[in-house]
Amino acid sequence: MSKEEKKPFSQTMAEWRQFVYNPRSGEFLGRTAKSWGLILLFYLVFYGFLAALFTFTMWVLLQTLSGDIPKYRDRISSPGLMISPKPVTALEFYFNKSDSKSYAEYVSTLKQFLKSYDDSKQSKNIACTAGKLFEQNEDRAVKQACQFNRTMLGSCSGVEDDTFGYAKGTPCVLVKMNRIIGLKPEGEPHIQCSPKEEGKVQITYFPDGGTIDLMYFPYYGKNLHADYLQPLVAVQLAINSSSTKEDVTIECKIMGSPNLRNEDDRDKFLGRISFKVQMSE
Amino acid sequence: DDHKLSKEELEEKYTTSISKGLTSARAAEILARDGPNALTPPKSTPEIIKFLKQMVGGFSILLWVGALLCWIAFGIQLAQGVASAFDNLYLGVVLALVVILTGIFAYYQEAKSTNIMASFSKMIPQQALVIRDGEKKEVPAEQLVVGDIVEIKGGDRIPADIRLIFSQGCKVDNSSLTGESEPQSRSCDFTHENPLETKNIAFYSTTCLEGTATGMVINTGDHTIIGRIASLASGVGNEKTPIAIEIEHFVHIVAGVAVSIGVLFFIIAVSMKYKVLDSIIFLIGIIVANVPEGLLATVTVSLSLTAKRMAKKNCLVKNLEAVETLGSTSIICSDKTGTLTQNRMTVAHLWFDDQIYSADTTQSFDQSSQSWATLSKIVTLCNRAEFKPGQENVPIMKRVVVGDASETALLKFAEVILGDVMGIRKRNRKLAEIPFNSTNKFQLSIHETEDPNDKRFLLVMKGAPERILERCSTIMINGEEQPLDRERAEAFQTAYMELGGLGERVLGFCHLYLPEDEFPDTYPFDTDSMNFPTSNLCFVGLLSMIDPPRSTVPDAVSKCRSAGIKVIMVTGDHPITAKAIAKSVGIISANSETVEDIAKRLNVPVEQVNKQDARAAVINGMELKDMTAEQLDEILINHSEIVFARTSPQQKLIIVEGCQRQVNQGGDGPCHLNPTVFQDAVVAVTGDGVNDSPALKKADIGIAMGIAGSDAAKNAADMILLDDNFASIVTGVEEGRLIFDNLKKTIAYTLTKNIAELCPFLIYIIASIPLPIGTITILFIDLGTDIIPSVALAYEKAESDIMNRRPRHKKKDRLVNEQLAVYSYLQIGILQSIGAFLAYFTVYAEQGWLPNTLLGLRVNWEDDYYNDIEDSYGQEWTRYQRTYLQWSGYTAFFVSITIQQVADLIIRKTRRNSIFQQGLLRNKVIWVGIFSQIAIALILCYGLGSVTALNFTPLRVQYWFVAMPYAILIWVYDEIRKLFIRQYPGSK
Repeated sequence: MSKEEKKPFSQTMAEWRQFVYNPRSGEFLGRTAKSWGLILLFYLVFYGFLAALFTFTMWVLLQTLSGDIPKYRDRISSPGLMISPKPVTALEFYFNKSDSKSYAEYVSTLKQFLKSYDDSKQSKNIACTAGKLFEQNEDRAVKQACQFNRTMLGSCSGVEDDTFGYAKGTPCVLVKMNRIIGLKPEGEPHIQCSPKEEGKVQITYFPDGGTIDLMYFPYYGKNLHADYLQPLVAVQLAINSSSTKEDVTIECKIMGSPNLRNEDDRDKFLGRISFKVQMSE
Repeated sequence: DDHKLSKEELEEKYTTSISKGLTSARAAEILARDGPNALTPPKSTPEIIKFLKQMVGGFSILLWVGALLCWIAFGIQLAQGVASAFDNLYLGVVLALVVILTGIFAYYQEAKSTNIMASFSKMIPQQALVIRDGEKKEVPAEQLVVGDIVEIKGGDRIPADIRLIFSQGCKVDNSSLTGESEPQSRSCDFTHENPLETKNIAFYSTTCLEGTATGMVINTGDHTIIGRIASLASGVGNEKTPIAIEIEHFVHIVAGVAVSIGVLFFIIAVSMKYKVLDSIIFLIGIIVANVPEGLLATVTVSLSLTAKRMAKKNCLVKNLEAVETLGSTSIICSDKTGTLTQNRMTVAHLWFDDQIYSADTTQSFDQSSQSWATLSKIVTLCNRAEFKPGQENVPIMKRVVVGDASETALLKFAEVILGDVMGIRKRNRKLAEIPFNSTNKFQLSIHETEDPNDKRFLLVMKGAPERILERCSTIMINGEEQPLDRERAEAFQTAYMELGGLGERVLGFCHLYLPEDEFPDTYPFDTDSMNFPTSNLCFVGLLSMIDPPRSTVPDAVSKCRSAGIKVIMVTGDHPITAKAIAKSVGIISANSETVEDIAKRLNVPVEQVNKQDARAAVINGMELKDMTAEQLDEILINHSEIVFARTSPQQKLIIVEGCQRQVNQGGDGPCHLNPTVFQDAVVAVTGDGVNDSPALKKADIGIAMGIAGSDAAKNAADMILLDDNFASIVTGVEEGRLIFDNLKKTIAYTLTKNIAELCPFLIYIIASIPLPIGTITILFIDLGTDIIPSVALAYEKAESDIMNRRPRHKKKDRLVNEQLAVYSYLQIGILQSIGAFLAYFTVYAEQGWLPNTLLGLRVNWEDDYYNDIEDSYGQEWTRYQRTYLQWSGYTAFFVSITIQQVADLIIRKTRRNSIFQQGLLRNKVIWVGIFSQIAIALILCYGLGSVTALNFTPLRVQYWFVAMPYAILIWVYDEIRKLFIRQYPGSK
């Protein structure tokens, strides 16, 4: 093979122009308009068919599913814990108790979150027997929900103190357990929080002892259990004046229930949560 | 200073004997002292450079970029304190490992094929004829030592630096040393102070052109002149092989697609307000998904499998890529001797007593005639060939002979008919001899007779018939000497023409009893002054010999013809011989005529014949000399059956260049409008001599002869024919074509799933759904499940007779063409993606995440602190629970691609034929591929499902079947496509 001669640039250009549109054969990009038309038509039909097929198979898939409960729940056998309000970045609360702007976001989130717990909105829910699972009959199309009154959260309810203690330097954080359909906790589950370093903070629980009552379980799903309110535990932190401007790490765990896991190696939020609070004056 | 010494001084210096040589023991001692007679090979490219080249070739650069981006992303994320930062570090490391491992693999493969070569060159070493222990022996040239006495004849390569002690018309070609190709005569005389100029030294690696010589080895190995100059001109830059060009083309296409999609989506991602860092991570995913990491390794394996298969069929391929080059060959320029023929001259006919006899040794002819007795004596005596000692039990025709081809033929012929030739020679002691050379064209020797009462000397001579006849005044008829009158001379001419017309090499024989009174017992015969009569001899007869064609060649030639390959014979032989052999093997077919034939038939001058009427042409080297390139082109275009006769090796190069200018009209692809693309023919050339090396280098594929080939030819060649048989080239062509077809299949198979790997990223970016398949998982497909199946495609049998199509066109029939890419990417690939997405959505939906919930979920889904995302049923998920589900999604996607790749593998078995025509069971390796694929997927899913870093989870059994309908659809769809292709062939 000898070296190929370099084609002059003008010829290359001419060939390109020829390729883009060839007036002699009427070819555009190497094909005639008819040929392009047929190809486009083919792909239109082909992809149309594929789209229809995909839609159909998806439809078949959705037909096999129940609207009430998912087919499998093995990926969420044990619930996670979460707090409200959730700071935007990470789980770190920074606020100045004398600057209302610094905690306005938290307060409004809490207000918003607790709206559905207003006593006025709970009239349609029933008062259940405390300490017992509230299992409902299978054939009941709409499941009933137990009342969880906002007032049960005491000084964290926002009823008396609409800054949820942030203005006083005793911020409230709500701890909630993730909803899982059909979950029936055993024993006497309650939330227990502790600061990483002893003595920096005093913790008060609402309701007392951080109890999560069994009557709020099991959950029947969004569809059947539209009025369901998940039980909350409010944690009020009284940070020692000596520890202001310091990071205070709080870890909360769900305790007292053998079937609620709280020590998974990989999932740091399974039955536990830790967050930081730094308050300045 | 050895050139200044006398023979005796030399004998003393090297403690050897000119007549008896060294003893074997002494030779062994010296060998141990000096080492083998071979040049230390020139420093080749350092291994580390070769290794590094593998690291940056092909897709490696792209993957390095990917790895680098990973590490950059890792650095930034680490600084930002993102928890998943280390994932990018690991991914980068994995990508780097992939590059390094595939690089090591490619390097290893290359090294292995080089090793095959190295071991091969040891297997068939150059031989030298040496006198040791008083006997002639052939030993490998490497074992020559200083002091050895070696014999050299025309055509040999000088095995070491040699001081000549006997020379007979010896001429050498010192071109390898001086670059001057003018033959230089060599004698025993000290003619110049400078050892390089003196005539009594012949140098290592030069060639003896004609004559004979005996010499003493004075330098070996690196001590030789050429060893000292130590510039073995090696490694002329090789052209890229067609398959290398194809693979480069393919890499360009894929890399182009990868980079453009990557950049496009980077821009889309940035303009969709994704963070730049996230966009970089997307870019990595797109690159990894687009690059078929395992493919180049697969191609290498496939090629080396074919190379192995070819080696079994006697084609040893030096360079893996040459495997395919042979398949795209459109012109083969073949040697005649040894390649098309058996390289075993045999006596075919005799003429004496005015009659032609067939020499078929199974039938006897009239042996009672006195003329035969005389003729047989000349044949026996005027012959330098000897059987190698120690072959008494070997059948005569198979014995190894020291001597040239025609002498060997005569020796064997005489041995068969007379028996004990050596005994006869011993009884008729040789007194003087002039070996054959090209100037006088005869060979002569003078003997005592075995009859003790007859004191006359017998002069016997053989040579070119016309030359012999010139020297004769009488002719022997029925044992009687009769005057050579015109009538007799005409009878001779008729016989000579008849035998010559059969393409046979004819030799004339004559003798003369020297009168006792003029030539007494003690007469000093001197071959230089020729103090004896060489004319007025008595003509005895003719013997004609032919080198019969190999039995497999005619079949192979006709195969080439149907495969659209032009076979051109290039030979140094006489045109008539060349034409006769060409006709007998079918290079010139039975009903083809040359211009000369037509002229003869029509009885018109040659000039009046329309050249285009003649299909065949026999071109003489003399004509070729005066031709311009255009004239040569014209011949190559106008005639389909061409024989070049009487060509010199230099002319071979001209012929090869001419062939390479030809347009290859072949290809089953559509014909292009622009036929001005030249230099498209792929030319294969066979060669054996040193002088063939330029032609071998020049050719697209140089084929050296394994048996007859010189080292230089083997070095210059791309391929070595172990049995020197033309038919082996044709089997090689077949394998080469098959591998090209099969590589197409492999690539189509591999490219398909790239779309199924790419789509998830695109949808992920655009629809913001949780990522359907991870980068690591993609690597497990590319380098795990897919490897064995794609290699298995290399075992696929041909779909139809691949030897019935024209050779592929270098520029039009690409390995990866538009149709293949479009069909793989836009049709089957999309089908596969849809099937895999169905599995993905199924897994999520059955766990509570309906498709509509997934859309736009990405940002929250990937938020490490968002641990209560609500699914479609009101349940809340932590980040880890979501991640684990995401891995299940990866696994389901992976499994679906695997399942559909099984279907893809089955459809790729054929490109035109239905699977039912090809048969599912014929290629068992495919099944190995399928089982391995599924087994690897099972192991990854259930065995390694608990290893978090791999991102696999044990999957519910039913998810393996979700994509099954799509797999079946792929197969049905492809069967329909193939049906259309068979129904409407040739449509665009």
